[in-house]
Amino acid sequence: MSRLSIRALCVASVGLACLSPALAQAPGVSATSIKIGTFGALTGPGYLYGKLPMNGVEVVFDEINKAGGIHGRKLELVREDDRCDPASAIGATQKLISQDKVFAIVGGGCSNPTLAARETIEKAGTPFVVFASVHDGITTPPAKNIFSVATTSTIESQAQVQFALSEGAKKIAVVSMRDAWGRARYTPLMETLKAKGVKIVADEEMTPDSNDATAQVLRLKQAGADAILMVLYPKPAAIFARDANKLAFRPLLIGQTGIADPAAFEDQVGVPGATAKFRTISMVRYTPEDPAVEKWRKAIETKFPGDRLSVYNQFGIGAAQVLAEAIRRAGPDLTQEKVVAALAGLKDFNVDVYPGPISCSETDHRCHKSPNWIMKEPGGPVKVLGATRVE
Amino acid sequence: MALFGRRNVLLVLLAVALVLPAVANSYQLYIGNLVLIYTLLAIGMNLLLGFAGQLAFANAAMFGIGAYGTGLLQVHFGLPFAIAFPAGALIAAAVGLAISFPALRLSGLYLALSTLAFAQFTQWIFLHWEGVTFGAGGFKTPQISFDPLPVSKPVGLYYLSLLVAVALYIFARNLVASRVGRAFVAVRDGEVAAQSLGVDLLRTKALAFGISGFYAGVAGGLYSQALNYVSPEGYDLFQIVLHKAMIVVGGMGSVAGSLLGAGIIIIVLELLRAVKGAQEIVFGGILLVFVLFLRGGLISVIQRYVKGWDEPLHAAPPRRDEPPPLAVPATPVAERAAP
Repeated sequence: MSRLSIRALCVASVGLACLSPALAQAPGVSATSIKIGTFGALTGPGYLYGKLPMNGVEVVFDEINKAGGIHGRKLELVREDDRCDPASAIGATQKLISQDKVFAIVGGGCSNPTLAARETIEKAGTPFVVFASVHDGITTPPAKNIFSVATTSTIESQAQVQFALSEGAKKIAVVSMRDAWGRARYTPLMETLKAKGVKIVADEEMTPDSNDATAQVLRLKQAGADAILMVLYPKPAAIFARDANKLAFRPLLIGQTGIADPAAFEDQVGVPGATAKFRTISMVRYTPEDPAVEKWRKAIETKFPGDRLSVYNQFGIGAAQVLAEAIRRAGPDLTQEKVVAALAGLKDFNVDVYPGPISCSETDHRCHKSPNWIMKEPGGPVKVLGATRVE
Repeated sequence: MALFGRRNVLLVLLAVALVLPAVANSYQLYIGNLVLIYTLLAIGMNLLLGFAGQLAFANAAMFGIGAYGTGLLQVHFGLPFAIAFPAGALIAAAVGLAISFPALRLSGLYLALSTLAFAQFTQWIFLHWEGVTFGAGGFKTPQISFDPLPVSKPVGLYYLSLLVAVALYIFARNLVASRVGRAFVAVRDGEVAAQSLGVDLLRTKALAFGISGFYAGVAGGLYSQALNYVSPEGYDLFQIVLHKAMIVVGGMGSVAGSLLGAGIIIIVLELLRAVKGAQEIVFGGILLVFVLFLRGGLISVIQRYVKGWDEPLHAAPPRRDEPPPLAVPATPVAERAAP
């Protein structure tokens, strides 16, 4: 190939690239269907926040489709794996938007990948409902088309502090992980404590793979803490609860959605009575065994044999119901702008699984502000204590 | 020149790469950009491991240093990308040079472990030096603009990556066919023998680490802009495995093999999105096949069956009145003989 022809090829290709046409409007919508995308981890430890909520979304879509769809259109779900990796999340959302041409997205498991994908989704204008990611940066400052029905880090931190104070705690301490997940919660937690004028008596750190918490427990005991705000995954939290019990240190243990299943947590700790004073936040209202979610338990177990309903499924169920409602309100002449406007206009909308109503606005896209408090008495069932409304 | 020889095939690939933005959607363009970025990483890794024989695991750390360096210089000092990008690459090259000193005393498994420790230390810095790196949550990099050129940011960035990849590919080809490249191979095949031939071990190893670091740093700078976001998990152990896999699949000790390996691994991983949950299994399977049955990588098969793919370590063509010299094997003899 001559130098001249290579040069001509370069010029022609740059020229063609500049002439790329703009995307057509209302992608993913036909007379009979609406294509909805989802992304999150389908494999690896992050699948709890990806695959399981996706399964929840799918059973909601099945139910809607059985009833004839929304304005005669059936909902189709397209899944993409982000492996909890930012680059992969960008690839996944680019594919959903540019190649699969989805109309809207409901998804987002691990926080950093969802944060990385925010710009791609924001630029495309695709309506996006976050089902599990809690990073504040996903919805703050608000992007016009991105809404979250997960309780964000700041909301959970505020709820933890409010709960400790409402339980009469005088000496509050913090034990936290400082990885990506932990930092996303630890920082707003410290800001909330400062804003409320609460001076903590101790601030301890654990790693996700900790096998011993004796040192942390002894320091907290020495500080006389009567309430511990735990920013920990279930495993280090279980180690902490076990060692605290062993050293006769029994303060109020206040968890968050990272430890959303008190029954599984009790099993993990494995010491009778060690979790008696453990309270934690659930994004959803009901425990998986509650008769109120019988319908969804059956739907999950029928659609995905071998699975049993979990709180993570319920994240997806709630998010899918919110998105479906917005599509319904947008009317039969469907556009993405109408769905975004419908999401921004949701006020006191109740879904099957959340403790409080969903309310969004033009300026605040954190639509779920009612974390639910749950506990499990040793040997007894999981009990719902009530929701904390955070403003 | 053979019709399906290396030069012709690479020119066709270049032509395809040039017209890609005109025919591809933004997802395909993003993948194209990733292929170019990983090609740079694979070439850098191959120069260090395939040519110089240094079993180092610091490439992902260099990649991260390039990305963090480029992004943080823009965020903290307000430098434009045009300055922050080369500066980030130079920082990575400097760190590469610095870690070459332990390599003088260490080799094989010990070098691997020490560089792996360095990679973990780098991760720790990314996570915990919050005031500078923004910690585990990462940070968003400023958007770059290609004004006054009439191209959007993704298209402009893609062409920038292409330009850099082509330039550094040619540089690597010339490097390995030069005295320096032959010194790399001599060190790889036997340090004592290389020294007895007058090869300066310190200089040669430092060059290999520095150049490899520079390639990874350049790739990191481009990656930070492709994602517009930098966070620690992008430069972890998975990246180390990915980079190694690329040169194992493409072919150790081959610049063209680096390109093939990066392209194949990235495209296969993306194609496997259609088969949910199978990525890890297929990825592992591909690695097993190449490690067990194709230890010379894809390039060894191509070189065996297609004319014009040899990569001699000599720049000058053979004189007509002399029989052509034998091409110096780019991969160790033991590996070429393996099934």
